[in-house]
Amino acid sequence: MSASTQEINNLINQDYKQGFVTVLETETFAPGLDEEVIHRLSKVKNEPEFMLEYRLKAFRHWQTMRSPEWAFVKFDPIDYQAISYYSAPKRKEDGPKSLDEIDPQVLEAYKKLGIPLDEQERLAGVAVDAVFDSVSVATTFKGKLKDAGVIFCPISEALRDHPDLIKQYLGSVVPHTDNYFAALNAAVFTDGSFVYIPKGVRCPMELSTYFRINAANTGQFERTLIIADEGSHVSYLEGCTAPMRDENQLHAAVVELVAMKDATIKYSTVQNWYPGDKEGKGGIYNFVTKRADCRGDNSKVSWTQVETGSAITWKYPSCILTGDNAVGEFYSVALTNNYQQADTGTKMIHIGKNTRSTIISKGISAGKGQNTYRGLVKVLKSAAYARNYTQCDSLLVGDKCGAHTFPYVEVKQPSAQVEHEATTSKISEDQLFFCQQRGLSAEDAVSMIVNGFCKAVFKELPMEFAVEAQALLGLSLEGSVG
Amino acid sequence: MSTFSASRYTTEYQAIAATLPGQALVWLKELRADALEKFSAHGFPSPREEEWRYTNVSVIEKKLFATVSRETPLPKLQVVDAEWLKSFQLEDTWSVVLIDGHFSAEFSDLDGLPETVSVMGMADALTKQPELLETYLGRAVNNTEHGFIAFNTAWFTDGLFVHVPAKQVLEKPIQVLHIVTQSDVMAITRNVIIIDDMAEARIIESFAGVGDNNYLTAAVTEVFVGRNADHSLYKMQSESEKAYHFGGIYIKQAQDARFTHHNFAFGGLLARSDIHVDLDQASECELNGLYLGVNRQHIDNHTRIYHLKPHASSREIYKGVLGDRARGVFQGRVIVAEDAQKTDSQMNNRNLLLSNEAEADTKPQLEIYADDVKCGHGVTVGQLDEKSIFYLQSRCIDEETARNMLTFAFANEMVDKIKIKSLHDKVLEQVLVRFPQEGVEKSWL
Repeated sequence: MSASTQEINNLINQDYKQGFVTVLETETFAPGLDEEVIHRLSKVKNEPEFMLEYRLKAFRHWQTMRSPEWAFVKFDPIDYQAISYYSAPKRKEDGPKSLDEIDPQVLEAYKKLGIPLDEQERLAGVAVDAVFDSVSVATTFKGKLKDAGVIFCPISEALRDHPDLIKQYLGSVVPHTDNYFAALNAAVFTDGSFVYIPKGVRCPMELSTYFRINAANTGQFERTLIIADEGSHVSYLEGCTAPMRDENQLHAAVVELVAMKDATIKYSTVQNWYPGDKEGKGGIYNFVTKRADCRGDNSKVSWTQVETGSAITWKYPSCILTGDNAVGEFYSVALTNNYQQADTGTKMIHIGKNTRSTIISKGISAGKGQNTYRGLVKVLKSAAYARNYTQCDSLLVGDKCGAHTFPYVEVKQPSAQVEHEATTSKISEDQLFFCQQRGLSAEDAVSMIVNGFCKAVFKELPMEFAVEAQALLGLSLEGSVG
Repeated sequence: MSTFSASRYTTEYQAIAATLPGQALVWLKELRADALEKFSAHGFPSPREEEWRYTNVSVIEKKLFATVSRETPLPKLQVVDAEWLKSFQLEDTWSVVLIDGHFSAEFSDLDGLPETVSVMGMADALTKQPELLETYLGRAVNNTEHGFIAFNTAWFTDGLFVHVPAKQVLEKPIQVLHIVTQSDVMAITRNVIIIDDMAEARIIESFAGVGDNNYLTAAVTEVFVGRNADHSLYKMQSESEKAYHFGGIYIKQAQDARFTHHNFAFGGLLARSDIHVDLDQASECELNGLYLGVNRQHIDNHTRIYHLKPHASSREIYKGVLGDRARGVFQGRVIVAEDAQKTDSQMNNRNLLLSNEAEADTKPQLEIYADDVKCGHGVTVGQLDEKSIFYLQSRCIDEETARNMLTFAFANEMVDKIKIKSLHDKVLEQVLVRFPQEGVEKSWL
């Protein structure tokens, strides 16, 4: 095995490719958080009055809350006064009207990340909203989407242009009182994406947001709101990266999805925030609240996530299945290496009749990583004939890592059928030996076994993302097997 | 909230402290004082604690149960006629009876017990074998873990003490019968079972009460299974309909030790069991459980298997049948320590909901810090298989009978694991009275 160990080590020692810093002239608030900061924030963003009130309400509530401690992660208390809550590349006048006006440095940064914002260069029909620190710098294909009636824009723009929709839906799935980080987000969120798909429209292309943290000592607080009206369909992708820094940075996002009758939302994430170095120094704290409300009958929400980055990941994309026959799905691959910690999973709340949910979670722990699946399946009395199937498997790579499974099942309806299955194992010597005696190198064998392990999730990803996800997994993992 | 009520118990404690056994032993006094301090500070567990999130014991706090002291004659004991008591006693066993938390020499029967084996009440053991108890009492359990353990340590009035020396094989099982005869009292017992190297023993813990008396049982049992020893422990909990029951069993297994636990949780309005096992190298443990809830019963089973060393294996199956407005809780946790390579662990929990008002909450947990392990768990909550019912109907069995048969078969799988004939029959009897049995002819069994 020694030859393979070496190859593998070479692979694992690959650097975090997205770890560069773009030098920019920025407009950044001094660190600190009080009502004054929120007033300024709201003013800089030129927000309507009701937003400021909403933010202040959230902030006042947040001050009464305590940071939650139940998750299976360890970190030093965060000093919220040491974070700057607004950082944006300096704008000319009212912000860029076209791509030509965007700071070429920012464009360059996105090009480096493989996300060209130039519409012509784009091969696949994917519309991108690029969020750089606290602001959205560009949204592509706006015109084409407008023809279809789809609204896809930064949420700060939506606040000004579509205040009625915002008023109606913002905070309706994740209220500002929901949890500590959601309250903080509601108070200080700076940007994010807003999507509205009108009745009966099938969104003509994939929508995507690319989040980038660049500035130091800032936190990123983005807010995404997706509304799929009756009979509509949308597929949304999300990607993220950050520079390599020694200090931890906080990313506390809130994502709200609303699916009306017969609507379908597919939400895919490839999360690759900077995970910290080999000694566990630095990295992003990724504390995210994601929730979907399947309000209408026959609605469907599918979450797919590949979590390879972040020093600490703490997120539970959830589905509230309110409508009859609503469907919730959750497919996840979470990988922890070195000192990464992940406490992730989902919540499926069955309220409507004949609601169905599927949870497939694959956790891979390597190095000194701690990987936890935490999931809740709750069947209320009204959810007759609800059905849930949960499978969560963990793969252990190396003898210093940990894999944990904490499912919660609460059933109040006798006609419901709930199944949960979990296994934990390592790549066995036998499996490796079998592959090797068939002529595969140890390296290829490991990669094949790991990819096979994750296949059920990868096949749910849109094509472009599936390729990226497989490459990421290879990069983050291979090397820890010996 | 909890501290307020805890303080009522704590105030009461001063009055009875002097009557508790083992006053002459300094180490025990210290242990009790420490536990009392912990309890005063935290009170009974609250649902805010993760391990108690589905079980709210505030009713126990609100009510102040009285300790029955040894000196006061048992006022209603005459109601307990020997016949009624006998109905719980199993044939062909050595029997220890604890009434209202005190050892009863009158009803106990230890004839023919090998001389080397000690079986006696805890109060007696504290005077006769204090050195042995000093090394064992409180060593399998952590006082600070939750309020009930601290409460038990401070308050216990008596209990069971068993010591089986090395290589001794006990021919007959020992049955310890915890009986509560009065309302509004509490029976707090501490039991210590020591099975030395290569010894073998079977012990049955039975809990029962009278009619619909409202009382509290809080028993803590510490079990030490020596190297290559073999121990089977059965628990049959059929407390009265309105009783509160807490039963904690904490087991330490030495290398190569084998331990099997069978837990039958049938009685009580609010019942909670803790079964926590620590496994040493190459030891094996098997936990079986069956909980049947009817009316408004709340039955919580909390198991924890800690694989500390390599090559140990554990198997766990818990089944629940819940009717009426009953609520069943299962929390099972398997922890595999960093050193515990080659661990093999399986956990299963299956729940059958029979009514619209019943509820099942289950939380199996795997916490793994080693890499070369085989661990799995499975959970199901559901109803009877429609195809099986249809099959039986196609064989001219009406639907209701078919349902009864399948429900019974579901539960009976756990009853069939009992290896003691007299206990098997007794448990079966209890299962049958709790669920509709038309169609389940006893002659089949």
